[in-house]
Amino acid sequence: MAPDELIRENHAGAAPLLANAAVSRGALRIEEEVVALFDEFREPLGRYLLALGLPVPDTEEIIQETFLSLFEHLKKGKPRDRIRGWLFRVAHNLGLKRRNESRRMCGAARDANEIEELVADPSPGPEEQLSSREMGRRVRAVVRALSEQDRRCLYLRAEGLRYRELADVLDMSLAAVSISLARSLGRIARVTER
Amino acid sequence: MQEQNFHLSDEQLLLFLEGELPKNAAGAAREHVEGCWRCRARCKEFEQAIGDFIRVHQDGLEAKLPAAGPRALLRAQMAERVSAESGNHGFAARVPLRALWAAAACVALAVGWLVVRTEMEWRSGARPGESVSLPDASLTPGATVLLSRQAVCREENIKNKTVPVALRRRVFQEYGMPRAESRAYEVDYLITPALGGAEDIHNLWPQPYSSVWNAQVKDELEDRLRELVCSGSLDLSEAQREIASDWVGAYKKYFHTDRPLEEHRRSSSGANEAK
Repeated sequence: MAPDELIRENHAGAAPLLANAAVSRGALRIEEEVVALFDEFREPLGRYLLALGLPVPDTEEIIQETFLSLFEHLKKGKPRDRIRGWLFRVAHNLGLKRRNESRRMCGAARDANEIEELVADPSPGPEEQLSSREMGRRVRAVVRALSEQDRRCLYLRAEGLRYRELADVLDMSLAAVSISLARSLGRIARVTER
Repeated sequence: MQEQNFHLSDEQLLLFLEGELPKNAAGAAREHVEGCWRCRARCKEFEQAIGDFIRVHQDGLEAKLPAAGPRALLRAQMAERVSAESGNHGFAARVPLRALWAAAACVALAVGWLVVRTEMEWRSGARPGESVSLPDASLTPGATVLLSRQAVCREENIKNKTVPVALRRRVFQEYGMPRAESRAYEVDYLITPALGGAEDIHNLWPQPYSSVWNAQVKDELEDRLRELVCSGSLDLSEAQREIASDWVGAYKKYFHTDRPLEEHRRSSSGANEAK
């Protein structure tokens, strides 16, 4: 074999390896990025999904699914801006899908307010704890009476999403977001007046 | 913006409080609120309502969230996707440097595993040649989800979830046994989910079916501990600690025996399905 043929052959063999190594390095970088975002957003996403009425195991699974989708999203070189809104939107959609499936299979899923009732601290305490429990009970009653969309707005805002992000996740207008939040907080304010 | 003798609407006040108004409108709103006691009082009501809601909302839900997320599972699943796409058969194979480190780690782990295993055999009183099944505490210290005793005992289905294939493979890799005959092992939970154990690589290890102290014997211990926890005779965290630190020792303690009971070994024969 002529020397230049050897060189060509070596190049031909090395090219896929080099390309593979570059892909691997890129994937590893993205993996680290996804894990960092997982550490940052796992808790807020978990709280939101639990508030939607999903049980803990489903919540964990949906969070995994959400971050795997993010991994695919980033691997395809899609935009990294507004990642928080993107994560909540994906988790929200997966959460609703899972909840609807559970409802079809085993009747109505537990809604967020029932969960809040379950996790409320039932232990007896001093007088100030009693009034704080009473306050908690009233707030839960108001939230339970809100429309589902108003509740979702509150839950997402509680996780720190700005109005633009809320509008994107819930597919609402900005005006509708502010009307919804003002309505909900106005109702809570009425029952917790001091 | 309205004159002083008008008031801002609830939406305008909330947008102002939330910093969602455009700059010019925010300045005008601030000026109005500073001069208007009624709007200031309304702002305060909103702030209090936000405080009351957030307290009720987050306090309750935080108690339900597992403390440590299964980050290892996410890593394993991402690695699996990458290797499936690139046609490689392992995460380590993708980067030469990483492969070198992995090989070095495998050797170290294999040596470590032998040392630990010998020590455990000695501690457990197994006859020479009998394999025992205790995890490497540095790889499998045990991991739990934050569940109350009531939540653990309310769960009727105590059958363990099947460990995903990607995670099983990762466990074998972590233990330096990437080519192990997977049918010969159960990738078992150290702290069973029936006692609040997490689906996390730190809570999983490959347990050989061939050992005397095998997965089915451990299942019997898990059932006993769960009974004790749910009857209030044993604290959940204590049960988790005992099974995570030395499950063989816990078995001996709770069944008052130095060897697996005959009926537990008999019930285990041929039962290769993870409970």
